[in-house]
Amino acid sequence: MRRIPILATAIVSLGLGGCKADPPWKVETKTVTFAKHHVFVRNKDQRNPLPSNADTWVDGKEAFSHYCVSCHGMDGQNTGVPFADHISPPIPLLTSKEVQSYTDGQLKWILDNGVSPSGMPGSKGTLSDDELWSIVVYLRHLPPSGSQGVPDMYTH
Amino acid sequence: MADKHGRSCERGGLIAAKRIAGAAQYISKGGFVKRRFMLLGMLIGFALAGMTPARSVKAQAAPRRIEVTAKRFAFDPGEITVKKGQPVVLVLHGKDAAHGLRFRELNVDVKVSAGGTSEVQFTPDKTGDFVGHCSVFCGSGHGGMMLTLHVVD
Repeated sequence: MRRIPILATAIVSLGLGGCKADPPWKVETKTVTFAKHHVFVRNKDQRNPLPSNADTWVDGKEAFSHYCVSCHGMDGQNTGVPFADHISPPIPLLTSKEVQSYTDGQLKWILDNGVSPSGMPGSKGTLSDDELWSIVVYLRHLPPSGSQGVPDMYTH
Repeated sequence: MADKHGRSCERGGLIAAKRIAGAAQYISKGGFVKRRFMLLGMLIGFALAGMTPARSVKAQAAPRRIEVTAKRFAFDPGEITVKKGQPVVLVLHGKDAAHGLRFRELNVDVKVSAGGTSEVQFTPDKTGDFVGHCSVFCGSGHGGMMLTLHVVD
């Protein structure tokens, strides 16, 4: 009969321990990054149908501000996002090599479908193709870190 | 020259009136030579005046008004057929939230508040099917909110 509490404690500890979100190891990150770039994230060859100019950039910034900013900040560099470092995997800087080395088509694919099982959701249906492609242009020319302030939702 | 001519066209009506007034003066004096000037003046006056009404008639051609209702997450109607070159006024009614309607290729964008009405006039200058999207973020189905504009000859 004594074994039951011990067993229960063990199960609970194991459960809690398993839920702890440690930052991923280096090897883990490298492996997953490689797999995403070369296997999981499709649509490598699709070109952006929108011209990369100031007008499209403004459209992209606007579209980015509705939905993406809650996790990525106005600047795409997590400025003002309170949980950016507390989730696993942490939210990457969109200016980082890891993100910028995707092709335009791959970025669009990620915007459409998200990256599972990270926190990145797909936006297909929530934002139009037009808006998503304009966001790709915005991502290629992100403003300096901190220059855009904190998203509205975190200032109240 | 073109500029000067353009301006004189715009003032065509005024010039015509002046000429006619001038002609009336000549008639009262009754001179034959002056009458010839009067006729010439009237001819020029009418010719210039004739240009002005031609323009205003064109501008008065009533554009086709099309009423569109925007509601999460669809436009009603969802398809519209218009003629190339025919002016169109899109009247957008916002039902439940702020919405917009944008045709990127036609350079048309109109925004409307919740419960409000906005309109935009444009003349489609190319044929084809153009898909307009909601241009004001309105929630989870925003990206699928679209209206197809068929522009035919």
